[in-house]
Amino acid sequence: MSSIDQKKQNEIGFVSNLLLNFMFLVCVVLCVAPLLLVIAISVTDEKAIRDNGYSFIPAVFSSKGYDYLLTAGDAIWHAYGVSIFVTVVGTILSLFVICMYAYPLSRSNFKYKNQFAFFAFFTMIFGGGLVPWYIVYTQMVPIKNTIWILIVPYLMNTWFMMIMRTFYKTTVPESIIESARIDGAGEFRTFFIIVLPLCKAGLATIGLFCTLNYWNDYYLPLVFVSDSKNYNIQYLMYQTLNMVQNLLSSSNQAMNVNEILANLPSESVRMAIAVISVGPIVLAYPFFQKYFIKGLTIGAVKG
Amino acid sequence: MKKVLSVVLCVLLVLSLSISSFAISSVPVKTITPSASSLTMNIGTSMGTSVTFSPANTTQKLVKYSTSNKKVASVNGDGIIKAAGAGSAVISIISSSNSKVKATIKVTVKKYTVPKKQTTLTMTMIGSKQEADTALVMKKVEAYLKDKLNVKVNLQVYAYTDPYTTKVNTMLAAGESFDVCFTSSWAANYYTNAGSGYFTELNGYLKKYPAITQILGKEFLSGSAIDGKNYGVPTNKEQVHNWGYLLKKDLVAKYKIDTTKITKMEDLESWFAKIKASEPGITPLLAVTMDTPFKFLDWDNLGDDDVPGALYSDNKSSKVINQFTAPESIAMYKKLRSYYEKGWIAKDAATMQNTTEMMKTNKYFAVESSLKPGKDVEMSGGGVDWVQVDITKPVMSNRETAGALLAIPAASKNKEIAFRFIETLYTDATVKNLFNYGIEGVHYKVNADGRITQTQTGIDRFNGKDTWRFGDSFKDLLRDSEDLQKMKKFLAYNKAGLPLKSLGFVFDKTPVETQVSACKNVIQTYYKELFVGAADVDATVKKMSDELDASGVNDILKEMQSQYDKWCAKVGVKY
Repeated sequence: MSSIDQKKQNEIGFVSNLLLNFMFLVCVVLCVAPLLLVIAISVTDEKAIRDNGYSFIPAVFSSKGYDYLLTAGDAIWHAYGVSIFVTVVGTILSLFVICMYAYPLSRSNFKYKNQFAFFAFFTMIFGGGLVPWYIVYTQMVPIKNTIWILIVPYLMNTWFMMIMRTFYKTTVPESIIESARIDGAGEFRTFFIIVLPLCKAGLATIGLFCTLNYWNDYYLPLVFVSDSKNYNIQYLMYQTLNMVQNLLSSSNQAMNVNEILANLPSESVRMAIAVISVGPIVLAYPFFQKYFIKGLTIGAVKG
Repeated sequence: MKKVLSVVLCVLLVLSLSISSFAISSVPVKTITPSASSLTMNIGTSMGTSVTFSPANTTQKLVKYSTSNKKVASVNGDGIIKAAGAGSAVISIISSSNSKVKATIKVTVKKYTVPKKQTTLTMTMIGSKQEADTALVMKKVEAYLKDKLNVKVNLQVYAYTDPYTTKVNTMLAAGESFDVCFTSSWAANYYTNAGSGYFTELNGYLKKYPAITQILGKEFLSGSAIDGKNYGVPTNKEQVHNWGYLLKKDLVAKYKIDTTKITKMEDLESWFAKIKASEPGITPLLAVTMDTPFKFLDWDNLGDDDVPGALYSDNKSSKVINQFTAPESIAMYKKLRSYYEKGWIAKDAATMQNTTEMMKTNKYFAVESSLKPGKDVEMSGGGVDWVQVDITKPVMSNRETAGALLAIPAASKNKEIAFRFIETLYTDATVKNLFNYGIEGVHYKVNADGRITQTQTGIDRFNGKDTWRFGDSFKDLLRDSEDLQKMKKFLAYNKAGLPLKSLGFVFDKTPVETQVSACKNVIQTYYKELFVGAADVDATVKKMSDELDASGVNDILKEMQSQYDKWCAKVGVKY
């Protein structure tokens, strides 16, 4: 009896079920369609694009875009390598720094908790601006033009740190830490053996955020890197796409805009770069997913 | 029958030739004037000279060049002077037709000191990308300049527009020390950065090392000056612009269109009608964003192309007007509207974006374009060939003078050497071409006719193009697709241009910044339809002008007028 009642309680009507499904279907189409279009363009023949415009089904199939990447795209593969290195190393280091900063702030018996929290929040809200920021990394810590410039500026992120602190507070009861201490564990041992394994979901969430952060970044190379061997894939893409857009929209055009445009990589090559730059991050999602939902809700609900 | 026809044709040809040669022999040359009466040059450099004839329509345009001292300066048949050793020499120019008509150029050749210590110059340049063989080419430059300037160049190329502008503006603002910097009105904001004091004033150096001034000419150089002070030196290339059509070559041949007879917009209309009627699938006129016949009005825009405020390009009046609502413009909109209604312009023209891409589709007969000698050849290829037709007269305006400049950042520690290096890009063909195309034999090979062909290594690893970015483009080697007479045609073209009186005026928009951006928005909304005739003219113009009034267009015009009048009084421009 009761089980049937329960079932009825949780059941949604046929119409609302249809409506909900339809709504989410629309959302999915809105998200997936542009991606599919990009993929379609990347395998469409250049002339067909010019004649017919973009279409989901390639009028004339051509793998020229990818051929170009395979043969002439030395710089692209190098940039790909840079992106992967920066993302992996950056995510690990960044996770380490964020977790280490957040942990003491989550402990109620840490004496300078407020000062350190203030230090982090204040600099998050009041930044120094571009030029001082630039001077720090060129003159005080001269790592401009090295691969570390793509990693160091994003190591600490106050926002992620806050999420992590909340996570510690809610998932790790004070009593567990106390019992660890009673058993004779030092602070570091407690942190690495007891606390971190309990926070896997939180680590995965912040880890995914950091990964996205590093993978999608084009701003650091834009400002700091002048040596093309340290360009990452996003920056390469930004560079070509932006070049086209800017030259087309700038109203005070230089006399030679047409010549520049004539020399740009073709539409399908641009889209092919976009497709391969999406690659690894799409693969990373399912990997993180099982922690992701749990981590997100915990970080968000309780303060 | 065929034979008879060809005989008749031959006779006609001979007749017409003899008639024309008869007519030609009647205009003798009276005087000749060289482009400069005295030149100062550095050892090892070369400089082109040209001659103007009087009367201008003379048919005796051949001259002979000779030098008084070969050890100091030599000269070839085209008037290119090469400085060989320190001292002075006199170059004589004598008319081939009349030895009494002559002129001289006094040449002083100096030997500049070579610094003992090597300087490393950092140079930022805009381009498609940093080429793979840059380091290799820079080694070659270093070796070549060892006994001349003793510099090593660290060349950094950043991609067009945003990447370049962001990086260079940050470097300038942070006071980073670098030595040579590409700048222009459209990338790395020449006017703003110069105004903020980030660039070194170059007038002192220009006086001390006169070669650049001699090459560019005072007029062109002053065009890029801000209140008489030069903060950058422009590339020597086409110094003027004009507008016209590019026509599809195969259709021109098919319909036997005599392009020499087309001098105004209306001349092409009957052909548009014919092509619309008999060529299915071909749209007579390609009109995209601002690349439409609206350009034929050739407004001398004092601000950006989409900011109200312009002068007529005829030097007759100093009154600033709103070019978007001027009677000529409205007449033009109406004409374009009629083109649109007749189907001569595509129905979706207002939403098109990339002219170059559209031109490759083989679906259009004519397109409006900025022209220069050889533009048609440059744009041809990929299965579509073009023929150019001039509509407007060449004019020298601010559009050209700030299109590509080299500046020396104020934070540079090697200003004088940097300037001398920039000068080398104007005076030394070897250095200029190393930067253009890379190393001979590796990145390109020289053909028998003197033109070059890029090798595969060149295309992959040092793809020489966009040679208009720096230095003296008249020293570029010609690519195998280019016209052998290109340089001569360019010189003639530059000379034919009318220098506008507004040359060198820069509108400072800060007092009316909000109005400018508001009006810009209005123009951006309406021009796409008006310029291709996609909307009813009277109603749209009324809407646009109402919105412009509401956005403060009169404030802009007033501010422009007062700035322009003040500037005219200051630099002595009179109407």
